[in-house]
Amino acid sequence: MKNIYKIADKVIEIVSLHDKVHDYCKEYRFDGVPDFTVSTVQADIDYEREKTAKTDIAQRISVRHLAEDYLEELAVYRKIAEQMPKYDTFLFHGSAVAVDGECYLFTAKSGTGKSTHTRLWRALLGSRAVMVNDDKPLIRVNDNGVTVFGTPYNGKHRLGVNIAVPLKAVCILERSADNHIRQITKAEAYTMLLQQSYRPHNSTALAKTLTLIDTMAQHITFWRLGCNMDISAAKLSYETMKG
Amino acid sequence: MKLNKNFLVHKSGKETIVVPTGNAEFSGIVKGNKTLGVILDLLKKDTTEQQIIDTMAEEYEVSREVIEKDVRMTISRLKELGAIDG
Repeated sequence: MKNIYKIADKVIEIVSLHDKVHDYCKEYRFDGVPDFTVSTVQADIDYEREKTAKTDIAQRISVRHLAEDYLEELAVYRKIAEQMPKYDTFLFHGSAVAVDGECYLFTAKSGTGKSTHTRLWRALLGSRAVMVNDDKPLIRVNDNGVTVFGTPYNGKHRLGVNIAVPLKAVCILERSADNHIRQITKAEAYTMLLQQSYRPHNSTALAKTLTLIDTMAQHITFWRLGCNMDISAAKLSYETMKG
Repeated sequence: MKLNKNFLVHKSGKETIVVPTGNAEFSGIVKGNKTLGVILDLLKKDTTEQQIIDTMAEEYEVSREVIEKDVRMTISRLKELGAIDG
């Protein structure tokens, strides 16, 4: 099955073995001439199965048996992420929320509480807080600045919308009994930025990703937040970062 | 020996960083100072541990003993990560 989508301003044709990925991406359907095509074969699905099994083992959980069409969804996004650096765009692992037209991106290792914290922002700010993407947004870095794009791949709670918002700040989140936040340097944030960015298989695309991260780092502020699950954590992080 | 093609060397400020592509088994990041940067630059072309030590001993005002120790340690670590071929 094939269809055309527009994701992060790029027109992408997805050619798949199973139908599920097209349902998953349906809000991004578009009619136009594709900038590029991604098509999956069985080997791509098998690769995702191996990869998720390795992650499960690393996280010390029993290896999940995942459906072929779910694994294909992952394969499709991987293929898109491989192409995106060509268009000054890369995939970043984090929860992105926009308030008053500016995007705040929370990042941390899986299971730390990124989504929990952005949920507190929604509780605090109501409809002023718009979830851009709760898991894997795309970030474009060009002459227009740093822009975060919603994508269909927005986490298990499917939180996100098809919008583009300028990025204001990246916040590295840690669990803590009490809430505290401080601005950190680009150098202090750098390792985490590399760890949370998708690393392409293609070395040209990886080199481009690294230069995009460096340029992005010049345009935004970085923060380190220690937080608990009380709404006061959101009040502290929002009020401090908005400046 | 030579730096494996799945590892990229990136300089950010004073730090030298080795970043693997998605193809590498190793998925972390190696960070180091200028010494790491110099060793990695030399590893872009096919070379030997001895050649690296000789080149660095000629270029830097540091005792050969210290250079030898640094180079052997760095190369052994990079080999463990699969970042060096041959």
